[in-house]
Amino acid sequence: MDTFAVLKISASALDAQKKRMNVIASNMANVHSTRTEEGGPYRRKDVVFSSVLMEQNPAPLEGVRIVDIATDNSPMKTVFDPGHPDADKEGFVTMPNVNVIEEMVNMMMALRAYEASVSVFNISKTMFMKTLEIGRQ
Amino acid sequence: MDSFRSLEQLIRYTNIRHGILASNIANADTPNYKAKDINFKLALDNELLLTTTSDKHMNNAGNNSTNEVIIKEADNWEDKNNVEIDMEVAKMTENAMLFQAGISLLQSKIKMYKSALRR
Repeated sequence: MDTFAVLKISASALDAQKKRMNVIASNMANVHSTRTEEGGPYRRKDVVFSSVLMEQNPAPLEGVRIVDIATDNSPMKTVFDPGHPDADKEGFVTMPNVNVIEEMVNMMMALRAYEASVSVFNISKTMFMKTLEIGRQ
Repeated sequence: MDSFRSLEQLIRYTNIRHGILASNIANADTPNYKAKDINFKLALDNELLLTTTSDKHMNNAGNNSTNEVIIKEADNWEDKNNVEIDMEVAKMTENAMLFQAGISLLQSKIKMYKSALRR
């Protein structure tokens, strides 16, 4: 039994949520990117979380990790903007499939999950400190 | 010395439950993850066996369930995850308070023994 497994679980959650926040930031930053290294406009990215068993005994304790950063294949947005350098013959520009509102909602969810994990970490720490106080004074 | 043992059990079970609740919160956004909990009350009853001096006394025989992990069944969201993060944080706070109560009681118990030994 790993005494500090609970701290590792919180740390794994903090790490996963932070990486998710990076992906969201990249989506938000590229909301108008019509050119990428792979060619074509930017495609929205999303993280895939998976639980990972950290300890089996005496109870299953599961942390979390990011197993994949998936590309969103939903259709791109087309905007009429004849003056844009990447506009086609009819004057339409293919814009990334990033929805700013959706990204904002995801960002808030990541933030809440991060905050919850920080509280868990602090509660665990308080519990450890209390345990060390047994038999003092 | 019995109360030492029961307090030890209380601290141990709240500690285990804390780990389970931490897993739930860590996996609040993991697809297909199901919230877990431990049948804390039964587990505790099992350890706090009443000492009986007669068959007619109340006892908790027959209460043999061990610390079983309960997996929540209901699906709330499309991603098959059923963790309600606010509920989990509330449970964790309650659990941590119980843990601290156990520690405080243990401390005052030790204090009592110490002052008895000093006389």
